[in-house]
Amino acid sequence: MPPRSVRVGVQSPFPICYSVAVTTIEGFPEDLARLDVDARRAIVDLDASLYPVEALYGAAYVFIDRCYVLLDRPAPQKLRLVLTPKSLDGGEPAVRALVGELANELVSAAYRHQIAQENRARIEAVTMQAIAGAMGPPTLDDLEDFDFTDEAFEDPLGIALSWEEKYAKKAAPDAAPGEDAPEEEPA
Amino acid sequence: MRELRFHRDLYRGECVDAAVQLYARYATLTTREEDAHWVVCVEASAPEREERIGNELANYALGLTVRDGGPR
Repeated sequence: MPPRSVRVGVQSPFPICYSVAVTTIEGFPEDLARLDVDARRAIVDLDASLYPVEALYGAAYVFIDRCYVLLDRPAPQKLRLVLTPKSLDGGEPAVRALVGELANELVSAAYRHQIAQENRARIEAVTMQAIAGAMGPPTLDDLEDFDFTDEAFEDPLGIALSWEEKYAKKAAPDAAPGEDAPEEEPA
Repeated sequence: MRELRFHRDLYRGECVDAAVQLYARYATLTTREEDAHWVVCVEASAPEREERIGNELANYALGLTVRDGGPR
C-alpha cells in the first residue's frame, strides 16, 4: 500500500501538527499497527480493555534496549505505543518483525498479569510463611507471651481428636457406676 | 524543536523530571504541564540531535516509571 499523508493531532506523542507518511504493516490490521515511513517507527494502538497498563509496561520494557519507546493514551479506552528502532538496519521488514514481537510480548505480559492477579492471595500467603520460617523458632519469651486460649482451627468432623477421645467407651447413662467395668480374669 | 508529550496516566511526573535533569546538559529542555500531559520541549544544535536526545529522554523516563511501579 502506498504511503498516505495524514495530519497528526494534538494528542499525538509526536511533535505536534506536521504531516507524516504512514502505511500499514503487512499482516497487521490498519487500526492496530501502522508504519511511519518518514520517521521509521511503528505506531501500535491497543484497546485498553484488553491490555492492562501493567502489560503495556512489561512489553515496553522488553524493547527498551533495542528501541526508543514512547507511550500515550490518545483516547480513554486506547493505548498507543510508538517503537523506533535504535538501529536503522533492516528497514521495514525489521520494524515489522519488531511489531510482531511486541504483539506476542503484549499477550504474554497480559496473561502473566492475569495469573499474578488470580494467585495474589496464594503468593502472599506462601511469602509470609517463608518469611516467618526465616525468622527462626520462637524464643521462650515469645512462647510465654503467646495466647494459647484461642482455638487453633475449627474441627467439625473431629479429625483432630485423639484415638482415645474418639473411641472411648461411653458409660450408659442409666447404668450403675462400675457396671461396664471388665471382669477381672482369675489368676 | 522537538516536543515530547508524556501522558500523566502512563508516566510518573518525578520520573520525567529526573530524565529532564539528566539530559539537560545535552540540550535546552523546557517543560510545561497540560491537562493530561507533561510536555518537554527539546532544543539542540541540529534536528538529529534533538531527535536522539528526545528519544533517549523518553526511554529513561519510561524506565524509571516502570521501575517505580507506574504513575501514582
